[in-house]
Amino acid sequence: MAEKPLAADGLSPQQLLDLYRKMVIIRRADQEALNLQRQGELGLWGQFLGQEATQVGATVAMESTDWIVPSYREFGMAMCRGIDPGEMLGYFRGLTHGPWDPRRYRFLPFTISVATQVPHAVGFAMGCRLEGSREVVLCVFGDGATSEGDWHEAMNFAGVFQAPVVFLCQNNQWAISVPLRRQTAGSIAERAQGYGFAGVRIDGNDVLAVFSAVRSAADRARRGEGPSLIEAVTYRMGAHTSADDPTRYRLDSDLAPWSSRDPIETYAAWLRSQALLDEGQADSIDAEAEGMAEAMRGKLRRLPLPSPAASLFDRVYHDPPASFLKEREEFEATLEPVE
Amino acid sequence: MAERTFVLPDLGEGLTEAQLVRWRVEPGARVEVNAPLCEVETAKAVVVIPSPWAGTVRTVHGRPGESIPVGAALVTIAAADEAGAQPEGEAVLVGYGSRTPGPGEVRRRPRSSASPSASTEEGVRAAPFVRQLARELGVDLTAVAGSGPGGRITRADVEAAARPDDRPGPPPQAPEADHDGDQRISVVGIRKAIARQMVRSVSTIPQFTEFAVFDATALMAARDAARHKGRPITPLPYFILAAVEAVRRHPLLNSSWDESRDEIVVKKSVHVGIAVNTPNGLLVPVLRDADQLSLEAIAERSSRLIEGARGGSLSPRDMSGSTITVTNVGASGPIETGTPIVNPPECCVIGFGAIRLRPMVVDSQVMARQSAWISISVDHRIVDGGLATEFLTALVGELEAIRA
Repeated sequence: MAEKPLAADGLSPQQLLDLYRKMVIIRRADQEALNLQRQGELGLWGQFLGQEATQVGATVAMESTDWIVPSYREFGMAMCRGIDPGEMLGYFRGLTHGPWDPRRYRFLPFTISVATQVPHAVGFAMGCRLEGSREVVLCVFGDGATSEGDWHEAMNFAGVFQAPVVFLCQNNQWAISVPLRRQTAGSIAERAQGYGFAGVRIDGNDVLAVFSAVRSAADRARRGEGPSLIEAVTYRMGAHTSADDPTRYRLDSDLAPWSSRDPIETYAAWLRSQALLDEGQADSIDAEAEGMAEAMRGKLRRLPLPSPAASLFDRVYHDPPASFLKEREEFEATLEPVE
Repeated sequence: MAERTFVLPDLGEGLTEAQLVRWRVEPGARVEVNAPLCEVETAKAVVVIPSPWAGTVRTVHGRPGESIPVGAALVTIAAADEAGAQPEGEAVLVGYGSRTPGPGEVRRRPRSSASPSASTEEGVRAAPFVRQLARELGVDLTAVAGSGPGGRITRADVEAAARPDDRPGPPPQAPEADHDGDQRISVVGIRKAIARQMVRSVSTIPQFTEFAVFDATALMAARDAARHKGRPITPLPYFILAAVEAVRRHPLLNSSWDESRDEIVVKKSVHVGIAVNTPNGLLVPVLRDADQLSLEAIAERSSRLIEGARGGSLSPRDMSGSTITVTNVGASGPIETGTPIVNPPECCVIGFGAIRLRPMVVDSQVMARQSAWISISVDHRIVDGGLATEFLTALVGELEAIRA
C-alpha cells in the first residue's frame, strides 16, 4: 500500500481522511448497537463489522441526489447519508417501520426479506430515467441474495432496459450459516455478462477500490450506458444477527486471514504512510465516535412509544373515507389512558 | 446514586431463559457503561452481557449454572448520578411490558371477550405462557402477587402459588405436571447440549465398540507406591498416560472426520476430554496437551478440572477442543463395562471400568487378580477393526507395563 493508488486521484487529503473518519464512526455505532441489544434495548441487531470499507466507499461515491436501496445490513451507509443513528435504532427496537423520510435522505427503507429490494431498485431506476432525471440508483445486497429468483429477474430486466442502476454485492461470504461455496458455484461478478452488462470483482475491504469502482459504474449509468454489477469481496466478521452464534458453524481459523485485512487498520496504515493521518487526528476521530455512540444511546432510550391508533391508521389512506375514520374512532374508544 | 436492577433481556428473538455461565464482576465492583457483567448461554448462543449503566455493582443475582428466566433480576447496580437521573425505565424489550408508560401514553384495554378468563384477570400482568401454566395448575392469577417488574407475575410465582405448603421451590428446570399426570421436563443448558452432541454422534458417526480386560496388578502397585510417597493418586492419570502413549503409536485414533471436505484431520496435539458426572449432567472438561505432560502434571490438572466441572466454575473454553475422550464406566456398582458413544468431532472414546479382583488365568492357574474392562468406540469412517484392535492392544500393553 506504499504506492498512492490510482483510486485516490481526485480525492483531496480532507476527503481521504473523511473516509477513515466515517469507517471509524460507523464501526463504533455497530458495536454500540450490539451492546444495546445485549442490554435489552433492541430486539435484534445485524452487525456489519468488517464491511465498513464497502459501505463507506460506495455511499461516498454516489452523488447526494442519487438513490440508495439497501437490504438490512446497510446501517453504516444510512449514517453516511446523514440519517440519525439513534432514530434509526427505533426500527430495531420495534417502534417503527420507517424511522426516516426516504425522500429526504434518498435512502429507501431497510428490507428484511432477502433480495426483494433488487427489483424495486430496478423499477425505481427506470422511473428516474422516464422522468428524465440524471439520478442513479445504488442497489445493495449480500451474496445470499444472488441465489434468489428476484435477483435474477431484476438483473435481466436491468440489462434489457439499460436501467441506470449500480448493483453492489457485499459478498461477506456467509448467508447466515451457509458459506458462499455451498450456494454459489461460479463467480458472482461474471454473471453480469449473461445479463449483458459489465461486472467487476473488487477488494471490498479497500475503501478506495470500492469508491473507484462505484464511482465509475455510477458515471456510466448517468451517461445512459446502463447497469453494472460490482462484487465487493469482504467478510462478515461478526454474527449474522444478535440471534446467531457463528461459532457453531465456523472456526476461529476461518476469521484469521480476514482479521489481518481489517479495512480500517489497512487504510489507516496507508493514510499514515502518506502523512494524511496523525495520532492527534486519530484520537479526535475516536473521541467523535465515542460522543456519537453516547448520543445514539441517549436518543434511542428517549424514543417515544408508538401510538396504537397512529400505527394502524395513519398511513393507509391519503384522504381517508368516512367509514375508515369511524373505525379509527371505535378503535380509539377501546384505548384507556395510562395514569 | 440510585439503585437500579437490570433484568435479563430476551437476547435472541423469543427466548424465555438463559443459563448463567460466569460472572465477570463481583459485588462492590465499579463498572462503566458497556463493561462486561457476565456470560450467559441461551438456546442460541453464549453472549457477554455489557453493563447498561455506570456505577457500583450491589448484587449479582444467580450462580453459574443457574437458569434465569427472561425478565428476572440479573444484577443490581448503584448507578452513577448521571445515569440514575435518566427518566427511562428498565429495558423496554423485556417482554415489552416492563416499562412504565409515561403520562399521556395509552394502553389497549383488553376486551372482555379477549379470552375466557379475561374477566377474572383484569389488571393481571403475566406473560401468555405464565397464564397457560396458571390454567394448567389451577392457580387464580388475581390472587397472586407478582414479583416481576411492575408487579408482573412470573412462572416462579405461579409455581409457588400452586404448591400446597412452604417447601422450597423446585429448580427452574423442575418437572411440570402434564394433563395426564406425566411429567414434562424442559430441556435447557447442559441437558440440551448433551442431547445435541449425542444426536450428532449417533446420527453422523458410524461407530463400533471393542472390549478388553487388562491385568491391573502393576497399575495398582504403582498407585500404592505413589500413595506411600504421600501423593494421593487415582487410576485415572495412569489411564490417560496410557491412552496418550497408545495414541503416539496410532495417531489416527486422535483425529476427526471433516465432513465438509471428506478428509481425515489427524490432530497434532492430544487434548484429552474427561467425562465427568456432575449434578447438572455430564460435562467433558479438557486436559490440554496431555502428550506434553508428566504423570504428576496429568494427575494434578485432571483433578482440578474434575473439581471445576463439579463446582460449575469452568468456562466453555475449558470444555471444548478435546481430540479424544476418556470416561469411567461403572465407577460404582456391579457394572463391568459399557459402550461409550464417540464425542464428536472426535474419532475415539475410551471407557475404563472399575478395577477390582476378578478370576484371571495366570500361568495356567486361576487367580484372583486386580483387573478392569476397557472399551473403545471409534468412528468406522476412519478406523477399521484391525486398527482398533491394534490400538486397544497397545493400550492394554501400556497399562500392564506400568511400573512404580
